[in-house]
Amino acid sequence: MSERRDTFRAESLLTPRAGIDDPFAAAVHATRMSMIIADAQAPDMPIVFANDAFLALSGYPRDEILGRNCRFLQGPDTDPEAARRLAQAIADGAPVNVDILNYSKDGKPFWNALQISPVHNAEGLLVYFIGSQIDVTARKNAENRLVADREGLVSAATEQARAAEQAVAERTALLHEVDHRVKNNLQLISSLLVLQTRRTEDQRTRVALQSMLSRVSAIATVHRRLFQSRDLERFDVAAFVRDLVGDVSLSRDEVEVDLDLQSIEIAAAQAAPLALAVNELLDNAFAHGLAEGRAGRLGVRVQRQNGHYVIEICDDGPGLPPSGQFAPGFGLTIVGLLAQQLRAELRFEPTTPGVRAILELPVNA
Amino acid sequence: MSNPLSVLIVEDEALLAVELGFLVEEAGCVEVGHALDSAVAVQMAGRLKPDIALVDVHLADGPTGVDAAREIVAHHGAMVLFMTANVKRLPDDLAGACGVIGKPYTDRAVRRALTYLAHCLERGCADAPPPPGLTLSDSYAARWGVQPLEKTA
Repeated sequence: MSERRDTFRAESLLTPRAGIDDPFAAAVHATRMSMIIADAQAPDMPIVFANDAFLALSGYPRDEILGRNCRFLQGPDTDPEAARRLAQAIADGAPVNVDILNYSKDGKPFWNALQISPVHNAEGLLVYFIGSQIDVTARKNAENRLVADREGLVSAATEQARAAEQAVAERTALLHEVDHRVKNNLQLISSLLVLQTRRTEDQRTRVALQSMLSRVSAIATVHRRLFQSRDLERFDVAAFVRDLVGDVSLSRDEVEVDLDLQSIEIAAAQAAPLALAVNELLDNAFAHGLAEGRAGRLGVRVQRQNGHYVIEICDDGPGLPPSGQFAPGFGLTIVGLLAQQLRAELRFEPTTPGVRAILELPVNA
Repeated sequence: MSNPLSVLIVEDEALLAVELGFLVEEAGCVEVGHALDSAVAVQMAGRLKPDIALVDVHLADGPTGVDAAREIVAHHGAMVLFMTANVKRLPDDLAGACGVIGKPYTDRAVRRALTYLAHCLERGCADAPPPPGLTLSDSYAARWGVQPLEKTA
């Protein structure tokens, strides 16, 4: 034993009046760095020295420390992995740095930045472990707060993303519900008009009701088309015209239809007025140019031309009156109003034979 | 047409059902019954043995039209044509139905669809693509030799 003590000048440290004659021992006693020394050769490596800083840190009096293994500092929330690393290093006689949660005598936990170094004598025999402790509770708490804050942020972001997803899902469900109701209501309005038409004997009233049905159907087709498209904001005019002409012309086998449809898209807000206008022009062509029973040709063109969307509907019927002047009926009055609303130009040109109705809509209206 | 198609109407909107009844007659078919909910629809299909059932998805007892259609197709041998504002909610196989007409439909579209289906049933094949407004299910399109088109219902 005396041999070992000599090699480390431990003698002077470990005696009750340590340090009086030895500046090194005095420094170790007085430093504010907490330090202990454990006997590596004695069973269970008891603490053989603890300086005042260690007593202050741990809250234990010296006589409760000496002779014990320093694991008494560990407690319920000490990370078993940190304790295992520590035990492993000591078993290997290796140096180790570990941040470990320790407990002072009054049960208060503190974070201990523990450094342990093995001390060998001249023969290379492991004789002591010297341990130094720094209380890093403040830093650890700050770190933990940061981690908690970050986790809080992440979970808040996750929560926000989930809420946003749910909002989108709710919006989609709502949109489907509204779409469903609008379609059913349009269907109901159509059916009411058809039912009343059936009960109406007066020919002029029947025609008026049928015109209204045709207008409602045009709006219904717009709605169906808008909801089918991927983009609810855009409306494919060519697809609409194809639907509309297909629906009308199939009941008029004797009319030959010539479609020349370039795919053009307009804003959804313009869809209903444009659809109504096109519907009136088509109805007009069928009512006058291609009056019931008359075989003839219907031509419909949709194209983009010189910054305008141009929609042309022509028939080969009797054409305009020789004067070029005609009193527009309700249908054409509607078209005039809708054209104004769309900032579109509406004109009728004579063809030989027949009439061509032209609707020119500025592209960026 | 030698034997007019017998039609069961499954629709919870009374006005639509009445109007549909007119269209059925105008298309040269015969309406054999009208059910407001799925249980009555299935029961009537079993009792009346219609050639075709026109089935809405939303019925008086809820969104039960798809299940009713499966039942009618599987056990009562009737062809089913969906008539619904909820085309997107239908299963890919259309529950065994021959096709779908999207609401809002026009009276012309319904008459043409019925005439077309009657013709296909009689001939066992189609001699034209389905008229506007009618979308055939993949299996019926294959059965009648119709090239599947863009879904337009």
